[in-house]
Amino acid sequence: MILSAQFLSSLAMTAIQAPQFILAAASTTASATASATASATASASASASASASATATPSLPAVVPASPTPTAVPSSTAATATAVNFPTILFSLLIWGAVLFAVVIVLLPDRTREQRTRIKALGVAGASAALFFALWAVETQASNAAIGLGGRPGGELMEQRRWLASFPISASYHLDADGLALGLILLTTVVFFCVAIAVWRNDRHVKLLSIALLTLETAFLGVLCSYDWVLFLIFWSLPIAPVYLLIRAFGGGGERSSRVAMRYAVTALVSTGLLAVAALLIGFEDGTRSFDMGLAPLTLPATVSHVVFWLCTGAFLIAMAVVPLHIPLLDLEEDSSGALSAVFAALLPTLGAYGLLHVSVGFFPAISQSYSLLFAVLAVISVAWAGIAAVRTDDLRRLVGHIGTVQMGAVLLAVAGHTTLAITGAIFLLVSRGLTVSVLMLVSSLIQERTRRVRISQIAGLAWQTPRLAAFWLGAALSAAGTPLLSGFVAYLLLFTGAFPAHRWFTVLVLVGVLVTPVVLLWAAQRMFLGASRETFSKVRDVGPFELTYLVVLLAVIVLLGVLPEHFADLFNNGASSILFPGTSG
Amino acid sequence: MPPVNGHALVATLLPSALLLLTAAAIALLGWRRPALPAGFHRWLACIGLLGAAGGALITLSGLTRTQGLGLVTLQGAVVADRFAVYAELLLCAVGLLGVLGAGTAQPRLHRRAPAFHALVLTATAGGTIIAIQWEMGMLLAGAGLLLLSLTGMVALEKTVPAAGEAALKQLAGAAVAFAVLAYGLAIVFGATGTTDLEATRGLLVHAAGLEGLGLAMTLLGLCYLVGATPLHLWLLQVIRGSSGGVAAVVVSLGTTAGAVALVRVMVSGFSDTLRPWVILAAVLAAIACLYPAVIALAVTDVRRLIGLGVSLQGGLLLTALLGTGIGGDHRLAGGVVAILFGSTVFALASLASLQAVGLLEAQGIGTTSEGLRGLSRRAPGTAALLCLGLAGLAGLPPLAGFIARVLVAESAVAGGFAWVAVASLAAWLLYAIPVLRCLAALFVEDDDAPVAAPAGYRLARFVATCCAVSGILASVLAGPMLYAAQGAALSLH
Repeated sequence: MILSAQFLSSLAMTAIQAPQFILAAASTTASATASATASATASASASASASASATATPSLPAVVPASPTPTAVPSSTAATATAVNFPTILFSLLIWGAVLFAVVIVLLPDRTREQRTRIKALGVAGASAALFFALWAVETQASNAAIGLGGRPGGELMEQRRWLASFPISASYHLDADGLALGLILLTTVVFFCVAIAVWRNDRHVKLLSIALLTLETAFLGVLCSYDWVLFLIFWSLPIAPVYLLIRAFGGGGERSSRVAMRYAVTALVSTGLLAVAALLIGFEDGTRSFDMGLAPLTLPATVSHVVFWLCTGAFLIAMAVVPLHIPLLDLEEDSSGALSAVFAALLPTLGAYGLLHVSVGFFPAISQSYSLLFAVLAVISVAWAGIAAVRTDDLRRLVGHIGTVQMGAVLLAVAGHTTLAITGAIFLLVSRGLTVSVLMLVSSLIQERTRRVRISQIAGLAWQTPRLAAFWLGAALSAAGTPLLSGFVAYLLLFTGAFPAHRWFTVLVLVGVLVTPVVLLWAAQRMFLGASRETFSKVRDVGPFELTYLVVLLAVIVLLGVLPEHFADLFNNGASSILFPGTSG
Repeated sequence: MPPVNGHALVATLLPSALLLLTAAAIALLGWRRPALPAGFHRWLACIGLLGAAGGALITLSGLTRTQGLGLVTLQGAVVADRFAVYAELLLCAVGLLGVLGAGTAQPRLHRRAPAFHALVLTATAGGTIIAIQWEMGMLLAGAGLLLLSLTGMVALEKTVPAAGEAALKQLAGAAVAFAVLAYGLAIVFGATGTTDLEATRGLLVHAAGLEGLGLAMTLLGLCYLVGATPLHLWLLQVIRGSSGGVAAVVVSLGTTAGAVALVRVMVSGFSDTLRPWVILAAVLAAIACLYPAVIALAVTDVRRLIGLGVSLQGGLLLTALLGTGIGGDHRLAGGVVAILFGSTVFALASLASLQAVGLLEAQGIGTTSEGLRGLSRRAPGTAALLCLGLAGLAGLPPLAGFIARVLVAESAVAGGFAWVAVASLAAWLLYAIPVLRCLAALFVEDDDAPVAAPAGYRLARFVATCCAVSGILASVLAGPMLYAAQGAALSLH
């Protein structure tokens, strides 16, 4: 009874103090940065030298900085001039903000046009709220990253509260994010914001679509912010039902949609099962009797370590949809409607990659490095297979799906490289990939919708009717190719530079495979947009102001990452070093 | 042995006595004043249940003066400890929600509503007797009262052939289960020479063949109550034959009381060091988890799906039973906490889903996948309730059923039965598949058939909504709930 009162009172305190925290956040952040500089100098120089040495010498340094014991009570590490520490709830707002809008939508009717418009507006509002909080979190951490604070777990935004304490293995409500997670949080919120706008014109299953998208966004953000295994599993398995329903509702229809949706559900359930077994093993074997994920690296018996490593890696490779596990995702992308295919293609495998880096590499750095050759081989296989499939396919969406698989192969190479530089490049690549694939999927869907053709060979001369569509396709294609001043360039540069010392030939092979990407995309562009215009497509409309709204946003972020990479470089670099050298949180 | 207290008799028997007295009053009024409206009996039953819950809280306050030690009376036959208080409160809450949500069964019950409400109270009383008993005779008395009351509730809808058939089959099954339980206890009595369940813990140190058989039969008899395979058919029969409102009460009360019985008998009584029954329990638990999940893959009727889900929950309770002793690291494995938390959450899910079925019946909607097509457009509220109920049964996050499954798996691993934990996880994955198909029928498939919205049943709809939403609230408030369950569990060790 006492504990329940304490629990409820802590929640009430947080709710009451949250507005004051928001108002004081700006001044608090600046003073926190200044006051934390002196105390963080030693750790900053240590991490800077660690990352510098990692950059110069790709192998792990001989000395890993000591890992501080994580605290089990809520703490706000901002030493501010005001001397009042408000508990932060930014991550909670980020995660639960979207689903609150979903709960409101549940209660609204959707029979008339006005009612449906209201629901759509709430959907966009929910996505906007999440984007707002994401930008706040990312900018806060990016400004702290320069002094070595931002982008590492255990920072000022961490939230930790007692939750399932009365049990053999306790679980807590622990939210945090490193540079990797923050980059993907930015990607997720931008993509969902754009998709929320993109589905505005849909009039079928409006309520279901809005609720499912907001729930998905909550789930994805929750995965990225969870630092407790029970919480992680809840958010990891939360997307299964919404994705299943979305495919059934907005797929091609009939038996095929049912089959595709069920295949996705089965793979997701298997992935969840593997992670659940891994979580149980970690909880019982690591000696801390806690499901907390902030205790990396883990100290497990040797055999258990390997079993858990492979359980986690297997689960995340399934989610990443690398070859040979890529078919369910490809079918998903092909069968779903336009905007949804952007979400599935951009974000579903990204979560798998996040898990692979955060858990498999971050919790088991030595084991993951010992299997680096295997990851390199997987990378080459993925890139080669998907590249050849991309050349051979005639389906527009499947082409984009294969390109996404190629880029995931490159992420595997970063895992194999096992250097801070390579992981930083992987983070950039994941963000860039997500944005690029989103644009490509949205453009593909618009093309298919307006020309009523799904095959590239059936489309030609579109540039005359749809020059803006062509421009967006080319922009995304150039980013995927790694053209300078676009996001892909920084990503590939860092990734290949970081991976080359460890696996030279594999890096070269993957580099050659990745070169297929621009070839295929530009070849598709040539076939679809150039050539003589056809009478059949004379009435095809170009993108208007509505479509430009979300396409421009996506492309702008691609350009921003390409032109101003240094704004995020420290953040991602700190995230990468906290993955490779866990326990160096500030 | 906890100290004997002069007020122990009143403290321990107060909830059961209140329930029985109120049941008698309802029965008498129903006989003497048949013109009284059904709502009168319902509210009288609610008063009885609330009174019993209040009696349990009085017992709790008495326990604080004894530093949480149990109050023993009737020569050790009954005990009031924190576990009994938790169980009594849970049973009264389940009974209360069942009574308030059974409005949709009124057309079938007709003039037999007083009997129905009286039987709910007697069934709850049977469960509370099981919660406070420490002795075989009291256990059999409580189990018998519970089983007869549950059968009676189903039989009240005898004017519907399916319900009559279900009641007959349930009577036969209950009789067999009771007999198995009684024979098992008789063998244990023969081996130990005492009917005191706690005393058997020290006497049955080495369970030879006959004693092992007695333990196995006892366990099997208790498996019937929780609806675990292979004694789960009564669940399917009741859910198929009875109306949703009646089935909700029968199933949730029965399985909750079964969970209480499992803990009282197998934890307080028989020790976890007796390997024969523990091995048998492990095998039964694995089968009880996997069998209904596999069968559910081919099911298209939502009633049958719910029945298999409830049976799967029984398997999960058996799985948690494996972790009720001391774990490999010499700490409590947490199985009792998992059972208590799980039975609370499972009861809410069962109530929500079956009360939603009751609302479907009231609106003239079939429960097959054909009948449920496009329900979200025809009856959005009922569709949402059914969705939450099924999601709770399936353990889909963020509902508390997911947390309960994690805790069950944890306790099984702590008890040294990791393979059973893996089986329970596999069952969770398998059962989610037909539930997803059902959700797709509700929300995705089109059907323009009009829905007849009956004027009443607002109370039933409200209660069903509370049960469904509680599944989410229980996730948020899992910490305090586990704390309370832990307090109850510690009183057993």
